[in-house]
Amino acid sequence: MSGETQTQTQTQTGSQSETDHDQGPLASWTQGVISNPDRRSLLYRALFYAITIFFLVTTLFPFYWLLVLALTPNSLILGGEWDLPFLRPQGFNPEAFVEVFQQIPFHLYVFNSFVLATMTTIIVIVISSLAGYVFGRLEFPGRGPLMLGILMVSYFPPAAFLIPLFEAFTGNPIVAPFIGVELFEPPRLVNTPGSMVLPFSALFLPLSIFILTTFYAQIPDGLEDAARVEGTTRLGALFRVIMPLSAPGVATAAVLTFIAVYNEYFFSSIMALGNEPQQWSPLVGGLLQYQSLYSTEFNLMAAASIVGVLPVVILVVVAQERIVSGLTAGALKE
Amino acid sequence: MAQVTLNHVTKRYEDVVAVNDMNLEIRDGEFVCLVGPSGCGKSTTMEMVAGLTKPSEGNVHIGDVDVTTLPPKDRGVAMVFQNIALFPHMDVYDNISFGLRLRKFDKEEIDRRVDRASDIVQLEGMLDRMPDEMSGGQRQRVAIARAIVREPDVFLMDEPLANLDAKLRVHMRTELQRLHKELDTTIIYVTHDQAEAMTMSDRIAVLDAGELQQIDPPLVCYNEPENLFVAGFIGSPSMNFAEGELVANGFESEHFTVEFDPSQVPGASVGDRVTLGIRPEDVFTVDRVQNLSSATASIDATTDVLEPMGDEIFVYLVLGESAERSMEGETASSNQLLMSVNPDSDIQEDQDVEVVLDRSKVHLFDTASGQALAHGIEELPGPSAGTGPDAGTSAGTGAGEGTESPVTEAESDR
Repeated sequence: MSGETQTQTQTQTGSQSETDHDQGPLASWTQGVISNPDRRSLLYRALFYAITIFFLVTTLFPFYWLLVLALTPNSLILGGEWDLPFLRPQGFNPEAFVEVFQQIPFHLYVFNSFVLATMTTIIVIVISSLAGYVFGRLEFPGRGPLMLGILMVSYFPPAAFLIPLFEAFTGNPIVAPFIGVELFEPPRLVNTPGSMVLPFSALFLPLSIFILTTFYAQIPDGLEDAARVEGTTRLGALFRVIMPLSAPGVATAAVLTFIAVYNEYFFSSIMALGNEPQQWSPLVGGLLQYQSLYSTEFNLMAAASIVGVLPVVILVVVAQERIVSGLTAGALKE
Repeated sequence: MAQVTLNHVTKRYEDVVAVNDMNLEIRDGEFVCLVGPSGCGKSTTMEMVAGLTKPSEGNVHIGDVDVTTLPPKDRGVAMVFQNIALFPHMDVYDNISFGLRLRKFDKEEIDRRVDRASDIVQLEGMLDRMPDEMSGGQRQRVAIARAIVREPDVFLMDEPLANLDAKLRVHMRTELQRLHKELDTTIIYVTHDQAEAMTMSDRIAVLDAGELQQIDPPLVCYNEPENLFVAGFIGSPSMNFAEGELVANGFESEHFTVEFDPSQVPGASVGDRVTLGIRPEDVFTVDRVQNLSSATASIDATTDVLEPMGDEIFVYLVLGESAERSMEGETASSNQLLMSVNPDSDIQEDQDVEVVLDRSKVHLFDTASGQALAHGIEELPGPSAGTGPDAGTSAGTGAGEGTESPVTEAESDR
């Protein structure tokens, strides 16, 4: 009996391998992946690693390249004689990271961008929290059109606002179009944070409002009611209950705003009339200071770029912890 | 502690009237249940007391203060919500002390009150847990502790037990009653579960379609419902209704008659459409009729379906010709009668039986308006009605109308 079954299985496997031969390698491999869960998970894992490595290389290689450039003396960069293996620093010149601050007050440029980004983020989060509460949790006529109107602000290219804003911020009186009536004379804001924080806030508000609206709308009404009965006002409920429970959303909006403003150059290069840290010229302005009419110090630019990125990296790591902890706490369960 | 008064309170949502001209007076220290089917306006009423919703008309008083326009935090109310609504980002201690911390109590006072409240609801040793680490019953106790700790004038409970399983619900029910005894605070309790309302409250306010139907102690609502809605809503299974006509010698419906003197039914005359109501436990088989002082003439019926509940059996009876048994909508209601019998009676399905109704427990309602006409009716039609020693005086006059007179009449019946 047992011998019989053995031969049976043998013939079965034999016929299976025969069909494998008939199908060709790709088809049989596909068949294997479909029928065999082990092979399937192997494939999934392989795909996962392939895609992850691809993304890591494309995002991290520029940083590595910055580091290579920063450590290579400028003369060797300009000489262009890279020995193989090509992708390693030529020489070792960590002094570049010190020189960055000696040649120009680069820390002041970093400080400027950091302050601008922080101020804008605070303003944006406060205002978009209020707006997000209203749009997400209250019913009122015209809510849809109003939301659309706010989102439309972000449809315009920032350059469209530049000329009128520049004119206003240089202290020219605001004149009503066509009728020529002078409305008011704005303070001269160029070379101050105000001239940058105001347009940044306006430009980045719509996105934050949109994010926070969706997050605040998800908080159950009962929690807000409970907070109000317990003794908060609506505003108190927003800041004590709704915002903490929407921490991931708030963190997302804050990080996006912060990074966008921190990297901003277009507006601030124009609103700061000269590329001087005292005139609130931003980080990117500082980087360009290493480029003079006659030479470009690539190693210093690279080192300064790395220094400039550090605050954002720290911020994102901290915020990400917050985002992750907010998600894993199951805050939105119920 | 305070009484709560609603004066002509109306709430409209665009074109829907959620609460219509509600007048309610809840005494100091009273436990009042608002009951009604979903959408009857009971939660809206509660929210208007809490201040979460502003009434369109009328005003709300808590104690002597008109709180109609006050925000919830200034009303001295605490609320327990149906979905429990603990703050998920705070541990139990922070949840309970939330209101106290907002009111800037000092640390020792907060600790003392949190300890006491958690003691009352038996939450000792759980103060540092997060809400999502607790069971439904524990969370509900935290929510109650959060309400207790503020020592409010009025407790508002919006279906606090609705999300708990049946066993826990019964347990929490007794705990809430104990709590009421201990704190002696005014409690307004919203529920759609009439068993909760019956067991817990001092008075039940029955709401339907945004209007107050009746507010009375549970047993009065049960024994002397003011209208068809209250009669059908209070009591489980609900009361049997039979539509019919008031005739010269009593009540006549399609399938049976009950003989009495129609003149003892105030506010109604012969020829009026009336609805007779009788609770399942007031229907008896003829062989058990001896312990009944006044029974109606026997009614022929056939048993249909039996529902043994353990402590009693619900028997669905089909009246009249057993052939025309039908479960379809209207006919089912008029020729069907639900009876509850002792579990040891040997009643069978599809058995012909004769049943009688307890006269003193028969309710008569005006079919058109739904208002109660009489609770309990006298023995015999004609002159014999006058022979009753004390009933004739109040019943024979047939004067007083509406709500007052049936109550006195029913009382005189006992």
